[in-house]
This record gives sequence, C-alpha cells and structure tokens, in this order.
Amino acid sequence: MTLQTQLIVRALLAEPTQERYGLELGELTGLPSGTVYPILARLERVNWVESTWEAPEVHEAAGRPRRRFYRLTPDGVEQARAAVARVTRPRRSPRLGWGLTPSSVVGV
Amino acid sequence: MNDRPVLGTSSSAGVLAAFRAAWPGSDARMIEDAYEAAAWWHRGQRRRSGDPYITHPVAVAIIVAELGMRQEVVCAALLHDVLGDTGCSADWLRTRFGPEVADLVAGVATLDVYEELREAVRRYDAGVLAEVPCGRDVLVLKLADRLHNMRTMRFLPWAKQRRKAQETWEVLAPLAARLGMDAIRWELGQLAAEILHHGRHGVPARTTAHRALSVAAALLPHLARARWLEEWNGELAVLPTRRARARFATQLVCGMPRLALALRRGAPGRIRR
Repeated sequence: MTLQTQLIVRALLAEPTQERYGLELGELTGLPSGTVYPILARLERVNWVESTWEAPEVHEAAGRPRRRFYRLTPDGVEQARAAVARVTRPRRSPRLGWGLTPSSVVGV
Repeated sequence: MNDRPVLGTSSSAGVLAAFRAAWPGSDARMIEDAYEAAAWWHRGQRRRSGDPYITHPVAVAIIVAELGMRQEVVCAALLHDVLGDTGCSADWLRTRFGPEVADLVAGVATLDVYEELREAVRRYDAGVLAEVPCGRDVLVLKLADRLHNMRTMRFLPWAKQRRKAQETWEVLAPLAARLGMDAIRWELGQLAAEILHHGRHGVPARTTAHRALSVAAALLPHLARARWLEEWNGELAVLPTRRARARFATQLVCGMPRLALALRRGAPGRIRR
C-alpha cells in the first residue's frame, strides 16, 4: 500500500461511518486531486469503499450540484484496519547478534 | 456488389476491445467485417471537424459495445450512416450482414426524433415497454449516435447546434432516463443545457477548469466519464477562487492517466500491501 493510499485509508478510518467527498479527503490528507480520485477509484474497485450520490433534498437546499460521497464498506473497515496495522508495525524484530540480546534491545 | 471492401484495419481496435470486455471469448469477426465495410463506404468522407468520417461510427460503436450490447447491434452502430450518406443499399447490407443488422441500420436511419421517440417515451411511461415500435436496440443506437454528435457538436453552425440541443433536451435525454441509461442521460442533459443556456443567467458558466477537465476526461472509459465529470463539477462549484479551481483541475488533469488505468484494469485487483 503506497503512502498516499495509507493517508486516504487512515482519513476514512478516523470516522468509518462518516461519508466523505473527494475534495474533503484532499483537504484532510493534503493530497492533490489528481492523486485522491484514482486512489478512491481503486479502493472502490476492490470493494473497500462504496460511493453514492448526495440526496437531492440536501444539495438542492444547499444550492449546489450533488456530491459523490465515499464510505468504507464493513469489509473495507476490517481490511483497512488490518492493512494499516501491518504497515505501522515494524516488519521484523530488530536483528539480534553483534552482542545484542532481546533484553538489551528493549532497554535501548 | 459482392466485392469485399478492402480498407482500414487498425482503428476497429477500440470497438473490439470494448466488445470483448463485455463478451469475453466470443467471436468478433462480424464486427471486423462491419468496420471494414463502413470504412469502405465512408471512404473519402470527412466530418465537419475534418476528421475522417469513419471516426464517428467507430465512436458510436464503442459506446454501444461498452453498454454490453450484442454483436449485431455493435455492427449496426458501425454501419448506421451508410444508408443515408453513401451509395450503399439496404439489399447489400442484408446480403452481407443478414436481416437483423440490416433492419437495425434501416431503423436508425428512418427514425423520426420528434414523432417516434416521443411516442417511445409515452409508451414507457404507460408501462408498455415491449411495444415500442422500433425496438429497444434501435433506441440505444440512436442515443449513442446522438451522444457522440453532441460531444462533437462545436463544429456545426450555431442554429443547428441549438436545434439538436433542443431535441436532445426534450426527447433524447428523457428517453435515456426511461431506458435506465443514467450516465448517458446525464451527459446528454449537460451537453444540451450548455448550448441552450449559453451565456444565460443562472446556469453555471463553463470555466476554463471545466473545459480542461472535459478534454482530459477523454482518456477515461466512455461510460465512466459522465460520472466523474459530474463529481468534479460538484467540487469545482464549491471552490472559492479561480486559483483554487485551476489548481484542482490541473492536478486532476495530471492524474487522469492514473485514473484511466484504475478504471480500465480488467479484473478487480488487490491493493498492494
């Protein structure tokens, strides 16, 4: 998972039930629009994310065109949590040897 | 009459790719033949834009193929203008491609937008779907034809643009909605509204950012295009300054190849860990 994808996934995971639109995700992550939408398209393709159009009552009342909203699917929440945990955790424990013992590593 | 047309090969590729994506493993030889025949009959003809005429039927056939239509309908899309605009006869079509393709082509060629299509909309509303006089395939062909014409309309005289836009707004977009073709309905409506409300108050003007995005979105698969353009138009509408809109659009144009790739990739892939 690329760093940019992680940023998007983390932003969605922060409040998994909250629907977000593309522009908003760009502001939350600081990523450019040209990066945000391709990532959303891929996440939608693998069913981590689902998207819907904003209800007419809402955007008509606000006097603007409808938005496309994105939200993690239940399956996507699980997969995304696991993936984020995997990249956050160091891949392997510190290499032992050179006189290091597990206890001396922890002590550092 | 039976001499085999001998022109054009390479640019049937887009149609074949779209057709094979919808019908994996099926034989598409008839489509290649239809492309060659259409290229032969339209040889030397050009569109108002200066492009070879064959680019139009090819674009229409790609739209039809992406909708997942059968091989006969895709062939009819490639051949949809040969009866009116070339020396090709209905008999030749029938002999060469069989009665179904010939009837579809004749159906599109003789379709009267105001009378027959209005009638089609009325019948759909009355719930008599099966009784649409010319059949659903002809309606789909007509919608795809009009969609590509509307996309490339800027080369026509202004009065004709307005007339076509009016027809599109009153009849074709509602018809697309009845047929459940939401992406096409939306794009037809947008293209028509742009012409009909040109410069009039109350309709958001097309900014440079909108135009840049529409051009760059040509990279996307036809049927995905309208959805993404609508989404971005929504985002542009709330960006406060011209500068913010320009930055949004420029970055997006740069990312368009990536988005096209993400949308075109065949089987759903996996997120790389």
